[in-house]
Amino acid sequence: MEPANKAQRNSERLFKYAMLGPAVLWVIAFTFFPIFSALNYSFSNYVLGRGITSYVGFKNYLLALGDAGFWHSLLITLVYVGIAVPLEVCIGFVFAWIITVGLPGKGLFRSILTAPLFTMEVAIGYLGVTLFTSEGGLVSALLNLVHIQIPWMSTGEGGLAAAILLDVWQWTPFVFLMALAALGSIPDEIYDAAMLEASSHWQVLRHVALPLAWPVLTVAILLRLIEGLKSFGLPFALTSGGPGTSTQLFSIMNYLVTIQFFDFGRGSAMGILYLVMVSVIITVFFQQMRKRID
Amino acid sequence: MSKQREDDFRELAAGYFQGRINRRRFIQQATKLGISAALLSRLAPATYAAGDNLVDSSPEAPNESPITKERIEFLKSKPYKGVTINVLVLKATVGDCLKYHAPKWSEETGGHVNVAEVPIDTLHQQIFSDLSTGLGRYDTYMTGCWFYGDFFTGNEPYIVEIAPFLKDPKHPYWDPDQWLPAMRRLYSWQGKVYGVLFDGDAQILYYRKDIFEKPENQEKFKAKLGYDLPSPPKTMKQMHDLSTFFTGWDWNGDGQSDWGISLHAKVNEQGFFHFLTLASPYVVSKDNKYFFFNPDTMKPLINSEGHLRALEDYVKFLPNGPKEAISWTLGQGWNLFLSGHAVMEPTWGDLPTFAQDPKSNLCQGKVGACVIPGVDEAFNPITGKWDKYENNVAGNTNGGTWHCVISRFSKKKEATYDFLAYMANKKNAMFNCANGWTGVQPGMKYEYFPPIGNGSLDEWAQYGWNKDDATRYLNAYYENLALPNQEEYLRIPGAAEYWHELDVRVSAVLAGQAQPKAALDETAQAWEQITDRYGRDAQKKLYQESFAS
Amino acid sequence: MDNLLWIHSKRSGKIGIFLVALLAATWVLVPFLWAIINSFKTLEATFSAGSIIPFLNFQPTLDSWKEVLDDPQSINSLISSALVAAGTTVLVLILGTPAAYSLARFEFPWQSKDIALWFLSQRVMPPVVVLVPFYILMVQLRLIDTWSGLILLYSTFNLAFCVVIMRDIFRDVSKEVEEAARIEGANLWQIFWMIALPLSLDGLIVTGIIVFAFSWNEALFSSALTSQHASTLPAYILASRSTRGVNFNVAAVNTIIAIAPPVIMSFFVQRYLARGLSFGAVKG
Repeated sequence: MEPANKAQRNSERLFKYAMLGPAVLWVIAFTFFPIFSALNYSFSNYVLGRGITSYVGFKNYLLALGDAGFWHSLLITLVYVGIAVPLEVCIGFVFAWIITVGLPGKGLFRSILTAPLFTMEVAIGYLGVTLFTSEGGLVSALLNLVHIQIPWMSTGEGGLAAAILLDVWQWTPFVFLMALAALGSIPDEIYDAAMLEASSHWQVLRHVALPLAWPVLTVAILLRLIEGLKSFGLPFALTSGGPGTSTQLFSIMNYLVTIQFFDFGRGSAMGILYLVMVSVIITVFFQQMRKRID
Repeated sequence: MSKQREDDFRELAAGYFQGRINRRRFIQQATKLGISAALLSRLAPATYAAGDNLVDSSPEAPNESPITKERIEFLKSKPYKGVTINVLVLKATVGDCLKYHAPKWSEETGGHVNVAEVPIDTLHQQIFSDLSTGLGRYDTYMTGCWFYGDFFTGNEPYIVEIAPFLKDPKHPYWDPDQWLPAMRRLYSWQGKVYGVLFDGDAQILYYRKDIFEKPENQEKFKAKLGYDLPSPPKTMKQMHDLSTFFTGWDWNGDGQSDWGISLHAKVNEQGFFHFLTLASPYVVSKDNKYFFFNPDTMKPLINSEGHLRALEDYVKFLPNGPKEAISWTLGQGWNLFLSGHAVMEPTWGDLPTFAQDPKSNLCQGKVGACVIPGVDEAFNPITGKWDKYENNVAGNTNGGTWHCVISRFSKKKEATYDFLAYMANKKNAMFNCANGWTGVQPGMKYEYFPPIGNGSLDEWAQYGWNKDDATRYLNAYYENLALPNQEEYLRIPGAAEYWHELDVRVSAVLAGQAQPKAALDETAQAWEQITDRYGRDAQKKLYQESFAS
Repeated sequence: MDNLLWIHSKRSGKIGIFLVALLAATWVLVPFLWAIINSFKTLEATFSAGSIIPFLNFQPTLDSWKEVLDDPQSINSLISSALVAAGTTVLVLILGTPAAYSLARFEFPWQSKDIALWFLSQRVMPPVVVLVPFYILMVQLRLIDTWSGLILLYSTFNLAFCVVIMRDIFRDVSKEVEEAARIEGANLWQIFWMIALPLSLDGLIVTGIIVFAFSWNEALFSSALTSQHASTLPAYILASRSTRGVNFNVAAVNTIIAIAPPVIMSFFVQRYLARGLSFGAVKG
């Protein structure tokens, strides 16, 4: 849209800033103080009841960087997200495709497939305990029928696997919904033409739907990455990070240090380090993915 | 003093100290025997001023017994009409218990209690966010005893002493002199009482008496291990033998093989109390009362040889319970015992209390109880030497011992105290500890049977208790609290954090991810870091203060 | 509109699709079914091997349902949750949609993608780190334990979703239609309000559902910043954890109660989520 004259240009400028302004101001107003405050804490020694006792420079950062537990939690988090998010994207996209194809009863299916989105992480964690326990758990009972025994709840690997499965269960609908909107915005003519030429659904899915929906899917991946890297309630309710610290995701560790133990100094420093690392990962990742489309 | 008079007085004193007679009666009788008033006041210091005006009950206060005449007079005007007190409680059994009493107190006094409930994960954070920001939305908080140090880190404590209210006879009557000393300590800081009686936690060992006493089990045990089945176990070795012996075969006849011990070891839960409890006899003896720190240097003792041996022995229990116990919470551990699949469990008094529900389990009348078994060699981490003992046992008060403390920001301290004291009144306190759903355990002498206290078995039976279970439970519980060696309770700031560092490492050892020695050394290292953050001198001072009472 | 894709599918494709749909529905429904079964168990039965089918394996009981429904706090938190989530959704859409449109259509001194990413960065911050500062902020604004406090907070966090998703959706909306409207004499606001917004209705609904779900489920801030009055369902569910551990049967009841209202609501909303609605308008 090329503005025709100066008056129009001015009104357009007014319009675009008026539209954008409130949201930007809102975010600045409510995040400036918390972020500044977190930065301030990260350079201090904080003790409950006495407040900030002294400023310690980069000590909290060095403590975090020198802590094997910190690095371990980062690794666990990467494994968690690295497995869960791709699964969610694939499954969510397939779900969206079967609804888009329009099988009979798709309204019902759509509602069913969206449902897990409204369950709270902690509740899923609790439910997971009763699903995966070997004492009367459903999953264990079903696997027993085929003589498979997996130590879900007594080992770190088992606990992590259970948490990932539940995460996939809960968050696939998120991708599903976004993919649905994306597939929905592709004109029918394209599908129809493709369907007549292609020999199977798989081919249409792979060669027509996926490329066209990819821009929205990258946003879905990005959002899931960001949320996944913060996963807390579900794994915490399921394993509490144990046995030992074997399933202690970064968010769990950060929660314990900052909230449970009121160590605002070290907790904030860890958080800010994490923020920096995650921002780098996400920016690089996102730009790579977007590059492929453009 | 004549022989006869001396004996009479001795008996009188015993009756008083064990709580069979009250202070007023004691002084009356003793004066008759010709004991001087000065001596008496030393023997029976008055914590409570109103002892002389007590009556058994009054229509003004159907839920209080005994009650003072001043109280009866005070209640006539509905003194707290229009007053609302705000309470923050733990959402759980103990919180339900408080909620049960609130409307009854309102009826008597006209006051209103507004209860906010939060789960155990967020309770500490909610309390201290409210206090440290000076928001002061609550008049009183229900606290676990390990939060105590945090109330005293600032220049002025966040909570107030209850002594001034205690002296005022218009408030509900309860007598802190009835407290077992081990419990009273947990409600106090530096000799001053801050908490109002509510809960009294400790861990002892519960076992299936019927299984231990079954002749064929006893024969098999003797044949296998060469000595009589010890019921109850007195030493750690016996406890290990029993747990191994009862593991892997079907001793309850339901077709599934059963277990020797039930533990719950999920991290960030209450599993580490198992370790604290079972480790106590290895370290705490008549020659050493320190378990966590060296009081002079604040150096951690947790990686001492005694703690190491305790951990190595603790790990050996693990194969005698389900493998998954490593991720179990408290309820799951209890469930294994209550459903008849485990023969022993070291835990809190809730277990025998739940066992009284014949609908949900088969254990009623079969629960034995004893103090935590001892060892014949304990390590003194201060001197760095192993000492021989005949059988060193140690008591503990591990657990929450949940109770309410009054905020210094409260503008209604008096009304708040009135409500808390109402729940501490003997009639209500008794109700609390005899009922399973309240989660409250006994810490007052009058809750125990003679010769310890003046409680009555019938009273317990009235709440559905099997009399044998009640007797065994209360006797062992009392024995534990009255043992001369008591494991200390960590009440300095950051207690939860110190415990957490231990918790995750013990869990790693249980999961086979770490060696005991390395785990405890790492714990000690982490503890040093915490101490430094809080300030070593400040922590040392509070640590020493936490012992004084 | 006919489902041409379905009609043109081969028979084997139809069967395949149907099988996948059935499998997907089973995968989603089984945990819910398990929650329902658990809600009729005693706490002991939640950990007894073989307690799977009610009546056959164990005697169902209504105890945990009674426990939850008898507790006035459960209804209170249901109301809180509904109000907070609805309030947040409305506020986020009001603030975020215009911003997203503006970013999708106009040039800015910075790249519009970077501004969108800046919004998104608000969600990258580990929540635990800003929890304490937010607490202090809420104390100062006197918004502790209030609905408005939570709405304000959740709007701040969820604005990013709206901006990022809607920006992408608006970019897909055909510019020709808008250009045509402009030539007809519509002003910028009218174009946004009467053309772009209706054309992106399904995106708007998806965004609304997502924002609603996130506010509905948020537990960490809710349990820290509320204690009674404004306590939401997730905070209430967290509290089914007692000193005894988690009462899994009670937690199951809470889970069912928590999920029922939004799922029922989504049945109604999803009617509007029909594919082709917007493009039907374009083509029509």
